[in-house]
Amino acid sequence: MSTSDHSKKELFGYLAQFEDATALYHAAEKVRDKKFRRWDVHTPFPVHGMDHAMGLGKSWLSVLVLVGGVCGSLTALGLQFFTQVSLYPTVVQDKPTNLFTIPAFFPVTFELTILFAAFATVLGLFTIIMLPRWNHPLFNSPLFSKFSNDAFLLHIEARDPKFHHEKTREFLSEVGAARIEEINY
Amino acid sequence: MAGIKNGDDFRDGERFKGASLLQKLCLGLGAGGTILFFVLRYATPANTGAMSYSWLFAVVFFLSLAVGGLFWTMLHHATNSGWGTVVRRLMENLAILIPVLFVVALPLLISSVGFRDALWEWFPLRAATLSHSHEEAVKEQAEYVAERKAGIDKAKQEVAQAKKDLAELSSPSPGHRFYMEREITSLEKKASALEAEDLSDEGAISTLTDKHFLHSEALLYKKRGYLNESFWWIRQLFYLVVLGGIAAVLRSWSVKLDKDGDPRWFRWMRRWSCGLLLPFATAWTFLVFDWLMGLDYAWFSTMWGVYLFSGAAFGSMAFLIILLTLLRRAGYLRKVVTMEHYHIMGKLLLAFVIFWAYIAFSQYFLIWYAHITEETKFFITRNTEFWNTYTIAFIVIGHFFVPFTALLIQGWKKKPRILFGISVWCLLMHVLDVYWIIMPDRGPSLTAHAEKVQMLIPGAWVYDVLAFVSVAGIFGYFLLRMLRSASLYPCRDPRLDESLNLVN
Repeated sequence: MSTSDHSKKELFGYLAQFEDATALYHAAEKVRDKKFRRWDVHTPFPVHGMDHAMGLGKSWLSVLVLVGGVCGSLTALGLQFFTQVSLYPTVVQDKPTNLFTIPAFFPVTFELTILFAAFATVLGLFTIIMLPRWNHPLFNSPLFSKFSNDAFLLHIEARDPKFHHEKTREFLSEVGAARIEEINY
Repeated sequence: MAGIKNGDDFRDGERFKGASLLQKLCLGLGAGGTILFFVLRYATPANTGAMSYSWLFAVVFFLSLAVGGLFWTMLHHATNSGWGTVVRRLMENLAILIPVLFVVALPLLISSVGFRDALWEWFPLRAATLSHSHEEAVKEQAEYVAERKAGIDKAKQEVAQAKKDLAELSSPSPGHRFYMEREITSLEKKASALEAEDLSDEGAISTLTDKHFLHSEALLYKKRGYLNESFWWIRQLFYLVVLGGIAAVLRSWSVKLDKDGDPRWFRWMRRWSCGLLLPFATAWTFLVFDWLMGLDYAWFSTMWGVYLFSGAAFGSMAFLIILLTLLRRAGYLRKVVTMEHYHIMGKLLLAFVIFWAYIAFSQYFLIWYAHITEETKFFITRNTEFWNTYTIAFIVIGHFFVPFTALLIQGWKKKPRILFGISVWCLLMHVLDVYWIIMPDRGPSLTAHAEKVQMLIPGAWVYDVLAFVSVAGIFGYFLLRMLRSASLYPCRDPRLDESLNLVN
């Protein structure tokens, strides 16, 4: 594989294949220690502890879910108190129309909390992983399509400040890559 | 990946030693407290009623922890879980205390102690109503029998008369004849129905007793098929056999597996746990119907069983986390239990905070909305005077909002020290929940015939503390004995590797 063939195209990054999950796990630890930032691993199944090996922090998603849930609760309570207590006090079964109507409002509050939290989860997840998008440079690689079958892959993007055309390739072979591909846009 | 633990390195298990001083202390507290409690019971007979509630409170609280332990064990097997193999022995040790607690509960069940009639008013009420009805029946018996016999004679005469009428007809038309014959048949039936009644002394008295029973205590009469002493004793036996039996069997198989490593035990535990969940649930549900819902025989809630179950599973998980942390602090289970196990137990605790709140609120919500007199009584009592503040502070905020908020934070569930603190809080709230279930009934029940109905019996909390400490001592003593009697984790369980290398 010579780089000159692709000299006209812009480099996206390197895609490295590893023998198995263990090799990939240890490679990920080394990539993490080299302080690379724009990189990811692709495996056919979830590998326990990979987030730790990659040095991933805690996801922001839970914060978004919490915000969504709180918004849902407040929306439901506000909607019900406004319409049923202040705007048009509705007496049902001799129940009070003041703060103590609140037990009647719990089912709706519960539902809206879950609904909003679920929306926040789905939309937040898509935002964080930047989906949907039309295409991705990794799809240019025939090797990449094997990640859902039997390949353990790791890619480092050229945009990464630590990326170096030769040194990164050497580094990947050092950490045990069985095969390295160049990916272009 | 790095540092995968091999189950073969852990096959020898880990034995609990030490804490012998604590065990002696527990025995002393348990035995001394119990003796003091029952000395007080017989020294001050006027307080029998108040003390009966104290003993029930202590027994139900610790029984709920043990039953929760049994539930977690069975759930673990039924779902074929791998995560908790290293902590499963703790659950089994908790569950095996069920028979012990049934022995501790005996003073409540045996009527001569005086606790049973004070707690469950339907016992004395039923006995009094029955004896009163019986007296009335004896008085009315002669008159009643004469009346019934006169009725039979009259019916027989009517049959004879009809037959005579038919015979006297010279040439009846077929239609008339048919009509007359039908009339005779129906009169004969009526007469034989009257004759069928048992008019012996016993039969008449029984009929009359039932009539008077229905008239004076209709509700108790309608529930007589369930609320009667012989069926009650059968049920108590059922609870002991089912709950105690399952706990004993599951633990003995688990310990046998430690010794011979035969996978047959493992398969049996898994297979039987699924089917036995049904009798387990039935036993616990009806136990709390009998012991707790029975405090007011007129009151009912179909969610009662699941409410007490959710509390038991919740309190038990909190207790398991506390026990685990204390054992680790004393130097045990350090190599096998990791932060990941804490994280899962914290998540289960959170799940059961939510489940408990869901059930507790649903029960309140349905009763609040339906507004039926027999049902609202429960919550009206708990919304009166002292208990109103108590409910809001401990049941609503303390039992739900505080642990819910704290346990939402992922990082806290992964830190044993913080999770330990939360669990102590949760266990305390479970104590207060059981107290809230039992105690508000004490004042109104015991002062029902006094000049002024009281919500609280002054000074009775001393007995509550004494009973709690006594049963806690007995519980602690037997728990430590059980911890000592086998390895602290099932060392030859096929799922040990999976549990040792648990990753969330």
